[in-house]
Amino acid sequence: MRNSGAVLILSFIAKLISQAAGVSAPGKPRLTSCRSPEKETFTCWWEPGYDGGLPTTYALYYRLENSETIYECPDYRTAGDNSCFFNKNDTSLWVNYNITVVATNALGKNISDPVEVDVAYIVQPNTPENVTAVVVDEDQGPFVRVSWEKPRTADTRSGWITLQYQLRVKQKKDKEWEEYDAGMQKYYNVFSLHPDKEFMVQVRCKPDHGFWSEWTQTTYVKMPDYIPRERSLWIMITIFSVFIVLILTWTLNVKRNSVKLCLLPPVPGPKIKGFDKQLLKSGKSEEVFNSLVIQGFPPTIDYDDLLVEYLEVYDNEEQELVLDSKDLSEDCMKSKSPSDCDSGRGSCDSRTLLLEKCMVRREGSRRDQHQYSQHGETSWASTESSECQGLEPGSPEFSDGRVKTWPVVFSSPQPHHHYQVEAVKPVYHSVPEILNHSSPHAMPTNYQNLHHQDIQQQEGRFGKPACRHSQSYTHFNLDGLDTPAPGVSPSRSLEYVEVQRVNLENMLLLRPLSDQNREPEGSDYAGEDYSKVKEVTSNNILLLQRDTSHQCADDYSQAGQCTTQQPPHPCKPVIYQSHSGMPQEGMRVMGNGYVDTTVLMPSY
Amino acid sequence: MKITTVLQVCVAFVLCSPRAVAGSPVDCPGQDTAGTSCTISIEKLLERAVQHAELIYRFSEDSKLMFDEMLISYGMNLHIPEGTMCAPKTVPVPLSKSEIQEISDKWILHSILILAQFWIDPLVEVQASLESYENVPSALLTRSKWISTKLMSLEQGIIVLIRQILGEGSLALEGPEQTSDRFVSSSKLETVRRDYSVIYCFRKDAHKMQSFLKLLKCRQIDKENCSLF
Repeated sequence: MRNSGAVLILSFIAKLISQAAGVSAPGKPRLTSCRSPEKETFTCWWEPGYDGGLPTTYALYYRLENSETIYECPDYRTAGDNSCFFNKNDTSLWVNYNITVVATNALGKNISDPVEVDVAYIVQPNTPENVTAVVVDEDQGPFVRVSWEKPRTADTRSGWITLQYQLRVKQKKDKEWEEYDAGMQKYYNVFSLHPDKEFMVQVRCKPDHGFWSEWTQTTYVKMPDYIPRERSLWIMITIFSVFIVLILTWTLNVKRNSVKLCLLPPVPGPKIKGFDKQLLKSGKSEEVFNSLVIQGFPPTIDYDDLLVEYLEVYDNEEQELVLDSKDLSEDCMKSKSPSDCDSGRGSCDSRTLLLEKCMVRREGSRRDQHQYSQHGETSWASTESSECQGLEPGSPEFSDGRVKTWPVVFSSPQPHHHYQVEAVKPVYHSVPEILNHSSPHAMPTNYQNLHHQDIQQQEGRFGKPACRHSQSYTHFNLDGLDTPAPGVSPSRSLEYVEVQRVNLENMLLLRPLSDQNREPEGSDYAGEDYSKVKEVTSNNILLLQRDTSHQCADDYSQAGQCTTQQPPHPCKPVIYQSHSGMPQEGMRVMGNGYVDTTVLMPSY
Repeated sequence: MKITTVLQVCVAFVLCSPRAVAGSPVDCPGQDTAGTSCTISIEKLLERAVQHAELIYRFSEDSKLMFDEMLISYGMNLHIPEGTMCAPKTVPVPLSKSEIQEISDKWILHSILILAQFWIDPLVEVQASLESYENVPSALLTRSKWISTKLMSLEQGIIVLIRQILGEGSLALEGPEQTSDRFVSSSKLETVRRDYSVIYCFRKDAHKMQSFLKLLKCRQIDKENCSLF
């Protein structure tokens, strides 16, 4: 009792002294980990505790399962400090090792907690070796091929260990690694790396049951500078432009009408009256132009018809004088309608017109006795009915609308066309009836023949003749009737007479045809009684020579080429010169200068 | 010798044909099996065996993990199995690579066969026992069921392999004394402990089988490259 008590007291004092000295038993060590790199050997590490201020020794003891034998660690050095290395002979798989570490120092010892270890499940291989990363250039673009080798210690060939690998890649500036599983192969292709950048590559491995190895040392690889996704960029550009083109085309298509208007302004169509565009488009040009064509133009002259052989003059009581000048004029004047003055015409205020009018007014039957040479139609009809203020173009002197002398041209009652073309048609002449007065001293009812020469085709315009006042004509007629022209034997029988000439008073000097002994050449008559017909126009207008000086001995059937203004011809009209400025058109105006070209000329 | 060979042939014939009908893992493609064993190349057989073993091991690992979680949910901590749980086998099994490389193919095959045969029954028991647990994850149940099924097919494959590689007849199974303690669990805890030990130990043996088969395969196929150091 005393001894035990003394021992206790001594130990207690020793402890106090040791504690006062700062030394103690070692602290409890701790096994940190045990690892086997190839499933053939393994190593255990422990962590020493507080050593208690005294040198402490550590010992590792292990015990296999199902056995109570305790073995000590065979090798403390190979694996370094605080480690225990178990070689192949000491390693048994699929057997639990019960491992403890004992720390011992002068004051005591301490035992760590036991750890059960099955080597098969603590396999952690070494890191893969020889990691290489190379840039491989291909059509699609360069990529990196990483290859490595298995850790030297691992026996994968016999199948003892099956390793699977893993690699990771990142740029230096990146925070996160990009991890790739490589399976059991020892290479890996890394695509889609940024060009012209440096990358870090690491590899590790793991057995099918075990722990991952440590990452290898970093391997650096630099990507070359290339244009990424060149082809896809072009494809994008192409698709985009095609899309734009499609949109533009669609827009143009939608707005094609306005575009058409803008680019191709409509051509103004023809605005000709009577012009049918549809006909033109249909291609039948003939029909188109047919509608524009005025029937009867150009005037086709039947020359035969123009040849008026005779002028019938009735000397019949029943037949009134065509002209009772004053009355007639009055009446006819009244009958004038002021409308429709065509400038192209000759003076339409012609007595002949009036005559016609009057005659028409009076008796239609008289017409029967008239011989009309009717050729086509003209706008004469209009002139009949209207007072023609015929204005000769270029000769304002005749603006008073002097009427022409001879002959009155009557137009058939055809519809009056306003077209100019129709005027080309020959105006048929109807030689007015020169009626002899019923006065006893009237001129014989002779047919006065007017020999017409071939009338030249009138083309185009006709000069406006000077229209004498009809008065003179009347006078002429009257005179002609009253004063029997010399050489004209008044007789009551129908006889052909010839117009010798027109005197100054616009009198037609007639002579019977029977007097064949007349000199062809115009003898010197009174001079005033005869006029020489120069020519007959196409409108059957007698163009008389106008020559006051001397007489023409020509045959009156022939018209000379004399004009008042040009008296080179010996034949001169005897008649007065009423006017000086004769129109020169076509040399037709002559005689007294009275050529009623109004009938000839269509009005435009 | 003649008699033995005749016996072997007869036994092989007896064994092969019903097994072919029964749908053994070794398919005999319509050959005339009279007098000959079903022939599938050893490489294929070994490959199949290795695949079986790998799958079995993986599933056993999953089962153990699930069981651990289940135990944690129960509040028990049995993760340190007792040494007696995994009873040593009657036939010494090589426990290191060096040992394995030293032993012959015959030994390897026999070891695998013994292991496979050993664990068929306990696994069935555990399977039955697991179903009575509370909150048992269904994955654990399916896996354990799958493991027992595959283990049986693996056993048959090993037998065929033995026959083909070693040319021996079927090994006589060792008696029911293989079955470890067939104790009647008195308490729930004991049952749990037993089940856990079965799963735990089986996991180890599955790993063994896998490793043995891989090594055997390497030896059989590529004798030169398989290092025997």
